[in-house]
Amino acid sequence: MTTLARLIRSKPFVWTLIVLPGLWPLWPIFVQHDPSVLADPLKYVLHHLGFTACLLLVTVLTFTPLRVLAPKSPLVQALNRHRRLVGVSAFFYGALHFTTHLVYEGGTIGLDLFNTIPATLRTDVKKPFLLTGLLALSILLVLAVTSLHALVRWLGGRRWKNLHRLAYVAAGLIAYHQAAARKVFPPQVLWIFVPLAVLELARIVKQRRSPPAKIAA
Amino acid sequence: MLIRTPRPWELPASAATAERDYLHRRTFLKTVGLGLAGAAFAGPKLFGATAGFPTRVNADYRDPALKPTAYEYITSYNNFYEFGTDKGDPKPNANKGWKTEPWTVELAGLCRNPVKIDVNDLVTKMGGAEQRVYRFRCVEAWSMVIPWDGFPLAKLVAFADPSPEAKFLKFTTVVDRKNIPGQREDTLEWPYVEGLRMDEATNELAFIATGIYGKPIPNQNGAPLRLVTPWKYGFKGGKSLVKIEFVARQPRNTWNVMAPDEYGFYANVNPTVDHPRWSQASERVIGAGGLGRQRTLMFNGYEKQVAALYKGMNLEKFY
Repeated sequence: MTTLARLIRSKPFVWTLIVLPGLWPLWPIFVQHDPSVLADPLKYVLHHLGFTACLLLVTVLTFTPLRVLAPKSPLVQALNRHRRLVGVSAFFYGALHFTTHLVYEGGTIGLDLFNTIPATLRTDVKKPFLLTGLLALSILLVLAVTSLHALVRWLGGRRWKNLHRLAYVAAGLIAYHQAAARKVFPPQVLWIFVPLAVLELARIVKQRRSPPAKIAA
Repeated sequence: MLIRTPRPWELPASAATAERDYLHRRTFLKTVGLGLAGAAFAGPKLFGATAGFPTRVNADYRDPALKPTAYEYITSYNNFYEFGTDKGDPKPNANKGWKTEPWTVELAGLCRNPVKIDVNDLVTKMGGAEQRVYRFRCVEAWSMVIPWDGFPLAKLVAFADPSPEAKFLKFTTVVDRKNIPGQREDTLEWPYVEGLRMDEATNELAFIATGIYGKPIPNQNGAPLRLVTPWKYGFKGGKSLVKIEFVARQPRNTWNVMAPDEYGFYANVNPTVDHPRWSQASERVIGAGGLGRQRTLMFNGYEKQVAALYKGMNLEKFY
């Protein structure tokens, strides 16, 4: 087993990789004092949290195709030990992103935060750009809650598996949400989603050729 | 009880410098104070039009209640897609060798005095520059307060002497694929074009800026000539103008070409007309720290000066 595979097997290592992006905004704000960030630091944090949530979601979605395409690889096996951790962290960053959004839209100078939350939500459901984010987060919430062992048992393998296929719907919604976030189409959407799409295509092709053995719940 | 009579030389507490500005005074001096002396010998890196400084403040456009945004933010947080699409891109990329001095601007089209003129000569012909403190509202729902230096657009219109057939003004930004890296890609259709109706252009507020905070306007803010229409969203203010043309038909402004369902021609600040993707009812205050947000004002607070221009117009249809 390579060193990398051994590192990836380690939960503390993966935890560190997941927590580090959350600390990333501290650098331009408190160390560099970058004025283009300090001009609107909350906007920077908002975008960064969303970007991290998106990356984590796409990352966890690569685990199954990698497992199908390279089942014997120790690195792939190591990655697949952390399906729940990475998936739930995507939800967690998404929830932080959404909370930041509520504070960002509400503010406190002249506008009372708690009175503005209903107004913010009303705008969110009216506009496809914002609604897709809201729907994706709702899906991730359901998936995070049903990732608890007790709920997996309660749902049963087949129902749980079908429910968690909603992760693909969430990914599609997020691709739209991210693409609609700037005034012009951001190329990063392609960098993030095209590799995932390629992996999924390869996985589907392989599974069509040799159907997987029936897996008991 | 002691009733204190203030001495004649005492200032009210409200006149005190804001603590943030005081704490950043050294940065302020470095950029603004030395700038005037530096203008004489600094290279074209940071300075475009240099005529007309120091400027006199026009008291009619200097509301004491408006707190200007720090110079650092005005010049580091920019939408200037010619130099990259992130807010922090224009400042480094616009100062890597792109020269904005010398600069010639063309007054053309349906006017009796068309001319190609050096920017500094133009400022002199306009009678020098004055400083006005205007609100600035971006369509992305953030805002600043900017002390612009420059001259009223109405003066330039009078100088060019438009013919009666001229109904609109068309503003064209520079194209320079060699020195402006973003123009090698099709981020937007180049050149960036903007337009105003003649009565909008001759409104008292319409302004051509050649400076910020009493210093020549930096490259990333649209040196050396930038259109400023404070009652409209910021994208209406074309930067680095090379041509100002009097035309008969409404120009197709660039953002209206790129996304017609999102950006119109008039682009008047209006909290009651949403952008398709976000609300325009409030705005982030740049430089106000974490939670700064305020309600957006109709016509960005300039209703008194411009509302008459749009009487009877359906502002939802003509966004």
